[in-house]
Amino acid sequence: MATVAHTQTSAGQPGRSGAGRWKPFQIVFWLACLIAAIVFPLVFSSPAITTIAFFTLVFAAAGTAWNIFCGYSGYIALGHAVFFGSGCYTIAILCAHWHIAGGWLPFAVVPLAGVAAAIVAVPFGVVALRTRRHTFVVITIAIFFIFQLLAYNLRGITAGSSGLELPIPPWSGYVFNLPFYYVILVILILAVVTSWFVRHSKYGLELLAIRDDEDRARGLGVRTGLVKLSAFMLSAFFVGMCGAVWAYFVESIYPNTAFDAQFDVLIALMAFLGGLGTIAGPLLGALILQPVTQYLTISIGQSGLNLVVEGVIFLAVILLLPQGIVPAVRELIFRRFARRDAMPVAPAPPAPAAVAPATEPNPPDSVAAERS
Amino acid sequence: MSLVLQGIVTGILTGGVYALMAAGLTLIFGVMDIINIAQGAFVILGAYLSYWLSVHLHIDLFLGLFITIPVMFVLGVILEWLLIRPLKRDRTQLSILVTYALAIIIEGLLYFFFSADNVKLFAWYTTQSIPVGPFYLPLIYLLAFALSVVLLAALYVLLYRTKFGRSVRATTQNRAAALLIGIDVERVAALTFGVGVALTAAGGMAYGATTPFTPNSHYDLISRLLVIIIFAGMGSLGGALIASVGMLVIENVTSLLWSPVWASTVFYVLLVIILLVRPQGLFGKFATRNQ
Amino acid sequence: MTGQYSKRFYRVFSFFGILACLAMTLAACSTGGGSSSSGPITIGISLSTSGDFSADGKAFTQGYQLWAKDINAKGGLLGRQVKLVFLNDASSPQQVTTNYQTLITQDKVDLLFGPFSTLLTKPASVIANRYGYALVEGAGGGPSVFTQGLHNVFDVSLPVANNLNSFANYIAAMPAATRPKSAAYATEDDPFTQPQVDSARAILEAAGVTTAYYKVYPAETTDFTPIAAGMVNAKAQVVVTGTLLPDVSAFIQAFHQQHYNPEAFIATAGPDQGTQFLQSIGGAATAEGIMVPNGWYPDLNAPGNAQMVSEYIAQYGGTKSDISSDVPEAYSVGQVIAQAVTQNNSLDQTKLIATLHSGTFQSVQGPVKFDSTGQNTQAQAYLFQWQNSQLIPVFPANVATAPVEFPKANWPA
Repeated sequence: MATVAHTQTSAGQPGRSGAGRWKPFQIVFWLACLIAAIVFPLVFSSPAITTIAFFTLVFAAAGTAWNIFCGYSGYIALGHAVFFGSGCYTIAILCAHWHIAGGWLPFAVVPLAGVAAAIVAVPFGVVALRTRRHTFVVITIAIFFIFQLLAYNLRGITAGSSGLELPIPPWSGYVFNLPFYYVILVILILAVVTSWFVRHSKYGLELLAIRDDEDRARGLGVRTGLVKLSAFMLSAFFVGMCGAVWAYFVESIYPNTAFDAQFDVLIALMAFLGGLGTIAGPLLGALILQPVTQYLTISIGQSGLNLVVEGVIFLAVILLLPQGIVPAVRELIFRRFARRDAMPVAPAPPAPAAVAPATEPNPPDSVAAERS
Repeated sequence: MSLVLQGIVTGILTGGVYALMAAGLTLIFGVMDIINIAQGAFVILGAYLSYWLSVHLHIDLFLGLFITIPVMFVLGVILEWLLIRPLKRDRTQLSILVTYALAIIIEGLLYFFFSADNVKLFAWYTTQSIPVGPFYLPLIYLLAFALSVVLLAALYVLLYRTKFGRSVRATTQNRAAALLIGIDVERVAALTFGVGVALTAAGGMAYGATTPFTPNSHYDLISRLLVIIIFAGMGSLGGALIASVGMLVIENVTSLLWSPVWASTVFYVLLVIILLVRPQGLFGKFATRNQ
Repeated sequence: MTGQYSKRFYRVFSFFGILACLAMTLAACSTGGGSSSSGPITIGISLSTSGDFSADGKAFTQGYQLWAKDINAKGGLLGRQVKLVFLNDASSPQQVTTNYQTLITQDKVDLLFGPFSTLLTKPASVIANRYGYALVEGAGGGPSVFTQGLHNVFDVSLPVANNLNSFANYIAAMPAATRPKSAAYATEDDPFTQPQVDSARAILEAAGVTTAYYKVYPAETTDFTPIAAGMVNAKAQVVVTGTLLPDVSAFIQAFHQQHYNPEAFIATAGPDQGTQFLQSIGGAATAEGIMVPNGWYPDLNAPGNAQMVSEYIAQYGGTKSDISSDVPEAYSVGQVIAQAVTQNNSLDQTKLIATLHSGTFQSVQGPVKFDSTGQNTQAQAYLFQWQNSQLIPVFPANVATAPVEFPKANWPA
């Protein structure tokens, strides 16, 4: 039974006994996070730190967006760099085409980049979402490589391997990072709020039903194709905006940096680290992983040992907390309270059984192995 | 025309080497349901081991395999016990992360011990070639292909003519049933992982003798290997062979007749089309296993 | 259930334990720099110790360190010792962005040296510009670095696009009877290599050398057999490859195996990398007759060059032909910036940028004078050829130590 308990993502599920008293704590917690995020660059104003903070928020937002599709539907996509790259190239091409100078104006193009990414997601999704599980993972990788190769080879549009440049804002170094930081923070907040609304809507339940048993969900009347594709597009929209802001920040893009295979792996890793399918998971994952990797590269990168340390950290996390930090911590707290209240052991929350009868996304054989 | 023929022949020969690497990957997937992202890093590690033996101890590349294959086998068994066995839930997904971590650890250690210089394996036969009709066949390609054939044949015998092989195949078909009839599934998994990793020692040697490499080279390799085994149908050994050869032939012919920049695009597009028609891959048995 | 509970508790607990340890390590590692007017002059550099540019990153580190050692032995810069602060960028533009901001605002370095490659120089120069720093670099010569409209980036090396022209001019100037009739070109899809190859091709075609083969291939290519087969099949007398080290060595091996002996063989880069090149093609015998354009060679009569070469050998071993041309590129960066700083008698960046734009400087690669975009107008492209295990200048005649070996010797048996 315990295994069932922690696969349930449960950020304040409505109507759940015992969850009600968490509500105020949760609101306070999220508000505190928000205030901390807003004042952070004012307190730690060194550009070296705000740069890392900016990249961290890019990944947090992209991870949250990735989670809207992948975490809830259970489809692990390793091709979101396609949307990131589409966002990068859209803003670069539009700024050049419309002769937009550096400053605030390029930020206005960012939503267009998101829309472009969402449009790219339609053919991508139509093709890839016909497959499942491993095949889906690999088909997203293959489509990713097709897009990267197109960015290299369609020289008329992308300038090939010479890459494209973005307009340079006239701001001085010590305040330069702030506009970028707050723009990406807004995108992050929008992504988190969207993620929350999806999670607490009928639409979100349909996605979860697809994760748990797609054929059954379809049998129960969920229009699985439409639900999956729209979530995929929603996810792409935010990732595309992240790409656009990132591109404007680094100011020169190339096919292999805009369409970066490591980006695919990193956002998945962050979501897994924090807890797949939870709202806070990808945030926490990005918050830990991005600063740690950047710091490790700076501090011990001279020997190449940064990769070793990074790898060991990943291993430690996955082996110690296989379901991610957020679910592990939540369960720890939940159990502690359950004990103090001397409740008869009731760790398993009432699963949304009506929608998702089979709550175990595992292959049955691995469950068998576990119980043996 | 002879140019196309040459492209096909060299495609088949280099495809043999890729088959060796892909066989290990697909075998591990078939038995254990895990995707070993570190397979490319193991190939590069194998290449560096051969390099070290040939430069410092002056051991011939092929003779060196008698050392590197057992070493890599033991390493594989230990790593399976240490890192893969503890994964109880969501094995497939978590295995991607664990083996990715393993890959970057191997990469980091290789930087530390061998530096980032490009290296390549040399022996008297790496620059020799044999005239065949209008062109020359590089001797190393022939030797590497022969090595692949020998090792893949040995693998075939191991899988289809021994008791261990029966256990492996039983586990591939149905893990729970294999457990029920008394097969020590965990032992089978450890040995399979060892065999899969051991094959990369040979694959790495063949790769390093034809292409210069750095610790970073594994990224290029793993994406191609993954595509090959998906193309073939995961878990299908014969399919991996055919897909490896097919991929290299298609790429060679495209880059000879059209342009090298579109060579891999053609292959990826073909892959997407095939997966849409047959989501289980060309030779895969299960459409959506366990779903 | 209780057992499981406590097990999980320990897991969470040990996870945060690891995290705490890590945080402490990080805190211990992060060095708060800070400049004073009496301590050493700090110079910030980001180079790649992992990723695509790691091999060059290593050679560049050596070049910068040699320069620092030399200037410190001479009493330092403005009477102060010089201290280099290296950060690893893992060949990633994102990390370069972080690194140069860290160097400028956290370590408060006095001067900046450039990273390796056009791809990383672009973000680095933008950051330097934002803080009013000059970025002097030796390996960011792609045309797009100089079209960004920045006035603070200076490349002490040869402008990339014209690298192969000395070779093309040499062929074009041959008497019609002996001049090759056809050429085969293959280049990596890379902003460093392709412009050079295209420029050489234009000169050769104008001189009547027909193009028998021209292909661009992706930078990630690992299997070069089909491209090599295409070139062999074209049976051209001249082979021009836009390559870096790994691909040129693969081509050499393939040509060797196919018994294809072009009369002239030149690569944009790779053969200039000393030991690394010889190691990857299997010895100097195979290198015989292979050409490469370059702005530097070990015997070049330029200020400090002989000293740098002997010190390199003393420190890292080998012979003078083992020295990668990355080393003098890095060394020149140090020389140029030191001369400008000494001339100003100040570390002020605005003055430094002005001086760099106006002055003429000396380096181990020869004289340096920057145009308004920061390209070195004085740099000369020499044509080099491997002859008897040495990479020697063969063209133009005023620097040549031996005539060009034409046609190129056949591959060793």
